[in-house]
Amino acid sequence: METVFIISALKLVGYGLAAIGPGIGIGIACYGCCVASARQPELAGRLFTNFIIGAALAEALALLGFVLAFIL
Amino acid sequence: METAEVLGPLEFVNEHVPELQKSLMNPDWIIGDGGAVGFTQYVLWMLIVLAIVMIVVLTAAKKLNLVPSSKFTGLVEYGYNFVAKDIAEGSIGHGYKKHIPFLATLFFFILIANFVGLIPGCRTPTGTISITWALSLIAFVYFNYYGIKKKGGLGYLKSIAPSGLPKPMVPFIWLLEFISLVIRALTLAVRLFGNMFAGHMALGIFALLATGFIQGAIGGVVSPLLGSTSIVWMLFLVFMYALEMLVAFIQAYVFTILTAVYISLAESEH
Repeated sequence: METVFIISALKLVGYGLAAIGPGIGIGIACYGCCVASARQPELAGRLFTNFIIGAALAEALALLGFVLAFIL
Repeated sequence: METAEVLGPLEFVNEHVPELQKSLMNPDWIIGDGGAVGFTQYVLWMLIVLAIVMIVVLTAAKKLNLVPSSKFTGLVEYGYNFVAKDIAEGSIGHGYKKHIPFLATLFFFILIANFVGLIPGCRTPTGTISITWALSLIAFVYFNYYGIKKKGGLGYLKSIAPSGLPKPMVPFIWLLEFISLVIRALTLAVRLFGNMFAGHMALGIFALLATGFIQGAIGGVVSPLLGSTSIVWMLFLVFMYALEMLVAFIQAYVFTILTAVYISLAESEH
C-alpha cells in the first residue's frame, strides 16, 4: 500500500518536473513574439504562427510527462 | 431534523473528487459494459456534435448570397473565412485552397465539441482520449499522405531532415526530426485531451469547493464567515468558466493551425 502511494506521488512529481522546462520555454517564446510584434506590427500574424509552432514543440515534452504520469 | 453526518468542506471535496474523476475518466456506457466494443456517452455526444455541425453549416450554406443576408450566415462565413485566410493561407501559403475543406471541418468540429461540453449536463467529446486520438490520427495520415503524394515515398523520407546540413550530422538530425514527426500524432491528441480534461476537472473542483463550504456552514461544521467564502469560490468558478470558453476556442485554433503547419512542412521543398 505504502509503495503504491509513493509511486503515484512520484508520478505527480515527475509530471511537475517535466512541466518546468516547457513552461520556461513557452514563456521565452511568448516574450520574443511580443517584442518582435511590437517592433514590427505588420509581421504579427507570421510571428504568431511561428510562436504557436515553437510552443507546440516545447509543449511536447510536458505532454509526454503528462502521458507517462497516466500510463506508468 | 436528523441528517447524515455533515462533512467539513475539505472532507467533502476529498470525498467527491474520486467520483468526479471517475465520471470524467470512465463515462457511462450506453451500449456495452466497458469491454473493447461499446458505445459511451462521449460517442453519443460526438454524434450530436456532428449533427450540430452539419445543421449549422448546411443551413448557413443554403442561404449563401454575395452579401450575407442574416447575422447567422455572416457568423458562419466569418468562421470559414478565418480558417481559409488566417489559418490555411497564413501557414500553408501557395496551394492552400485544396486543404481548406479538411481544415474547416476539423476547426468547426473541435470548436463546437469544446463548446458543447461547457453547457451544464452535456459532455465534451474532446474530453476523452479516444476521440482526440482519432482526430489526430486523421490529421497525421492526411499530412503524410500529401507529403508522400508531392515528393514520393523516398523523397518524403529524405526530406524529413532539412537540406544543407554537414554530411556527418545528417543521420542524427534525421533521427531527431523523425521522432518529432512521429510524436506529432501523440502531442496533437494529448494536447487537446489534456486541456479539455484538466479544464473540466478544475471546474468540477471549484464547484465542489463552493458546495462544500456552504454546506459546512449550513450544517454548522464551519463558521458562517468561512462558509461565506463559498461566494469567492463561486466567483472563481465563473472566472474559470470564462477562461474555459477562451481555451475551447484556442484549442480548436491550435489544433487546426498545427495541422496546417504540418501539412505545409510535409509539402514544402527544403
